[in-house]
Amino acid sequence: MPETAADPTAGPIASARDLVKIYGKGETAVRALDGISVDFGRGDLTAIMGPSGSGKSTLMHCMAGLDTPTSGTVVVDGDDVGRMKQSQLTRLRRTRLGFVFQAFNLIPTLTAEENITLPLDIARRPVDRDWFDTVVDAVGLRDRLDHRPSELSGGQQQRVACARALASRPAVVFADEPTGNLDSRSSGEVLGFLRRSVDELGQSVVMVTHDPTAASYAHRVLFLADGRLVAELADPTSESVLDALRDLGAGRAERDAPPVAVGRRVSR
Amino acid sequence: MTRVALRGIRSHLGRFLLSVLAVLLGVAFVAGTFSLRSMMSSTFSDIVESSLTGDAYLRGSEVAAGAAPMGPGAEVAGDRNRIPLSLVQDVADVDGVETVIPDLTGPAVLVGADGTAVAGGGGAPSFAIGLHPDEPAAIVVQGRAPSGPTEIALESASLRASGLALGDTTTVVVAGALVEVEVVGEVAFGAPVAGATIVFLDVATATTAYAPDGRVATIAVYASEGLDETEVVERLTAALPGGSSVEAATGAALRAETQEQIQSALGFVSTFLLVFAGISLFVGAFIISNTFQMLVRQRQREFAMLRAIGASPRQVFTSILVQAGVVGVLGSVLGVGAGVGLVAALRVVFAQMGMELSGRIPLDGYTVLVSVVTGTVVSLVAAAVPSRRAALTPPVEAMRDDVVVHDRASTLRAALGGVLVAGGLAAVGMAVADRVDERGTVLGLGAAAVVLGVLLLAPTVVPAALGVLAAPAVALLRPLGGLARGNVTRNPKRTASTAGALMIGMALVGAASVLAASTEASTRSIVDEEATADYLLQSATGQVPGGLAQEVADLPGVQRADALHFSVVLVGEDQVLALGVDPAIFGTSLEINVVDGSLDRLAQGELAVQKAEAESRGWVVGDTVDLRGSEGRRTATIGVVVDSRALGVPLILPDEVFTAVVAAPDAAIDSVFVVAAPGTDLETLREDLTAAARPYVVVSVMDAEQFADRIADQVNQILVILYALLGLSIVIAVLGIVNTLALSIAERTREIGLLRAVGLGRTQLASVVTIESVLTAVFGTVLGVVVGAGLASTLPTVFADEGLSVLVVPWTQLGVFLGLAVLVGGVAAVWPAIRAARMDVLEAVSYE
Repeated sequence: MPETAADPTAGPIASARDLVKIYGKGETAVRALDGISVDFGRGDLTAIMGPSGSGKSTLMHCMAGLDTPTSGTVVVDGDDVGRMKQSQLTRLRRTRLGFVFQAFNLIPTLTAEENITLPLDIARRPVDRDWFDTVVDAVGLRDRLDHRPSELSGGQQQRVACARALASRPAVVFADEPTGNLDSRSSGEVLGFLRRSVDELGQSVVMVTHDPTAASYAHRVLFLADGRLVAELADPTSESVLDALRDLGAGRAERDAPPVAVGRRVSR
Repeated sequence: MTRVALRGIRSHLGRFLLSVLAVLLGVAFVAGTFSLRSMMSSTFSDIVESSLTGDAYLRGSEVAAGAAPMGPGAEVAGDRNRIPLSLVQDVADVDGVETVIPDLTGPAVLVGADGTAVAGGGGAPSFAIGLHPDEPAAIVVQGRAPSGPTEIALESASLRASGLALGDTTTVVVAGALVEVEVVGEVAFGAPVAGATIVFLDVATATTAYAPDGRVATIAVYASEGLDETEVVERLTAALPGGSSVEAATGAALRAETQEQIQSALGFVSTFLLVFAGISLFVGAFIISNTFQMLVRQRQREFAMLRAIGASPRQVFTSILVQAGVVGVLGSVLGVGAGVGLVAALRVVFAQMGMELSGRIPLDGYTVLVSVVTGTVVSLVAAAVPSRRAALTPPVEAMRDDVVVHDRASTLRAALGGVLVAGGLAAVGMAVADRVDERGTVLGLGAAAVVLGVLLLAPTVVPAALGVLAAPAVALLRPLGGLARGNVTRNPKRTASTAGALMIGMALVGAASVLAASTEASTRSIVDEEATADYLLQSATGQVPGGLAQEVADLPGVQRADALHFSVVLVGEDQVLALGVDPAIFGTSLEINVVDGSLDRLAQGELAVQKAEAESRGWVVGDTVDLRGSEGRRTATIGVVVDSRALGVPLILPDEVFTAVVAAPDAAIDSVFVVAAPGTDLETLREDLTAAARPYVVVSVMDAEQFADRIADQVNQILVILYALLGLSIVIAVLGIVNTLALSIAERTREIGLLRAVGLGRTQLASVVTIESVLTAVFGTVLGVVVGAGLASTLPTVFADEGLSVLVVPWTQLGVFLGLAVLVGGVAAVWPAIRAARMDVLEAVSYE
């Protein structure tokens, strides 16, 4: 693993070192993250996959400063998230992170446009109209800007959420199962947009998903199991992701078997 | 299902807490009112029991009108003719009669150690009694009974209140005269005297003072042990001289009559209090209904699940009603306790003010039953609509992910509201335009319809009204104002009912303040127009001592000193307030409008009638009126119809007629008008008048301006009580806002998590909640004040004849209410805002 270069644009946009997260105490303690170290590439769409309880959501929450790791460090865009106070975290989320959740992404009382500019309004920053237009055109919602969320379809709502996540040109967008509630066509639209935002707009996106098709849109897929990073896959296709998952499943079934490496090894 | 309902309460205790509190406050007021009433009535019953101990009483047989009840003794006199003292001898020899005690009671002022009049709280009376040596109710516990005109004894509580000690000399005003006296004894009276100041005189002095014409109101007869009261009455009746207007009544009958009179007088007080209890319960019902609406919404999926596994709509409905019932019963029971506590506290306060009330705080089964039933029924009714909605949840909702229900204002409700407002306004308009009889009633009904209509219409106007009200916040506090506006307008019904609680309170406050300001201004204009006297003398006790009136008339520089005598006389069977004046008063001390006839006729023994009274009775100049009073009866001709607001009394009699009808002890001098002789220095006169009045302690000398100020003060005092009572409805309204905010924040948990995730700071979130709260409070207040003040503004037109001639809208005060609304909103937001700000972002985002 190469050291981060002096040039800030060259290194990973976010990284975790020896991240441990334990929920509960004593007998009922659960190690959700068991010493994970990982880098998320700048200008990459990275997918995190894994079975339920593998710690993929916890990893993302810790990366995004929504959850506090038990130990280990998280660095986002050059700043140590673990050392931030609540107010600093709020400012970080407001200005340098974007979020897309599985459901309930929008404020029902605001129009699509108001939802998109919400992080900027909260930060009292001016809206960059050019960027706004670029984003809105990219999600294809120009004619829906005055609509309330209840007047939009599920796919449209998620696209508004994506646009909102990008509106403040964040360092990194965290998407938690962004297509979990969508049909395949809407999923395609949302994922296509997320990929375009990386390829064409130069954003960095980290996405948690359990859908191999969704993962196939990513540049790179990380596989988690039992709170550890067990494999990763570059330039995935649906098939290669499915294969990897099958192998992992088999690996999990045989407890004593050594960790299965799929594609490239975890450490480069 | 009942188990599910009860578990629901246990696991969501916090959510029910505010509902319980709302019921508690409403019920506390109801229970407090009932037990306060019982406490007062038992206090007065005790007084009656311990003061009317006679076995039989002699009293006038003719029902006539007397002065208003003055004290334990005078209450008996009530409205009958007075009887000769000589009857005492007539009945003393009747077989079985042991003691005969005439009632020698009348108003008196006692000057305390600090040089001011001794006065109990709450306008308690101050009077003197001739202490008969055989009087069984009063026992000398210290010193001795008074003897001669310069000695008095004092009732124990009065002695304490006065700060005097035995052996001290002080001044009393008895029958209008100043007397220097020595306190020689302390007399215990059977029961707490409710703040009354009681002076005991010796019988001879009291007779001179209160029975100068040899007549008294009643004579108490005590018979020997074991003699039946009816038997005593029969023997007395036989002994009474024929043809005299005297009758004998049993002590029991008299006590019952007196009790009845007291009860009906207290009835007014408790009606007043019950109205407020009703308002607070009504307001509380809003909170309960809101709570259940939101609880039902939050648990929609739970109900759907219950329905999916086979619960019938009826079962779901019942399970929620069971919860409402528990809330109602719990709140009511606690409320009864709180009500009793409230009364106990009031009792202490009253005692501090010198008004001792009966120690028993009565809590009878009736009070408990009425309070608990009221609280519970209100809770059940308020929860019925939300329960129905829950019951009709389709089972399939359980499968859905998001339950988004948009409450729109129902058209039926809006239509009904519109009709009520329109109809109410029409009625108010008719009353204002004088197109109907019974204008007051029509106005009242119209106003009630408007208030109810506005309550129904409120959800419909919420989006527009809050759009306007929120505009400044939206513009200044981007994006917080906009978020807050969105939150208060997304559920108009909820916002409307939350604000409704405040609206009712504020409508009443607004109406009261307009009424008060108008009353004050009207009074000032009346005083300016009609009272042409230079000075006016009035007493804090309501009676200017006759001696002072005489003294003032004799002062140098006084051209005229007119004493206005008041009393109640009987016209047919009706009690009517009458005023006795020297006919020459008109044109010198008073200028009044003559509608028909001439004021000169008063000098010929004819009487003046107010326009309103003449109209309602169909009297015209030249008609004769049959008057009866404690002195006798007289038929007089109506000489003039007048329209005077300064003399707000239906009948104005020349002194000659007045004295022929009303016995001197029953007439009270309300005020003395003083006109200076030409060339007199007014300041010097004022000093002279003040010097003359000073010894009487209770009398003040005022010019027209001060008189108006004093009336304004009285109006304001009434207003303070009103505000205090309305404060309670505002407290309940605040609870309502807290409740709604807390529940709606719980409902919006995920949304709040999202906002926080995209970078909304804690302070910003707290600000959003506060703005929501303030917007709701301001909405309710604006609506309430507009409705209340608007409706009250019609009063001066409708009640111009009753002396309310000038309309004044106290804008500053209304502005203060608006400021208060902002404050109320801010206070109500504190707890919900802190709760919202403390939510963990991650938990909130992933909240189910």
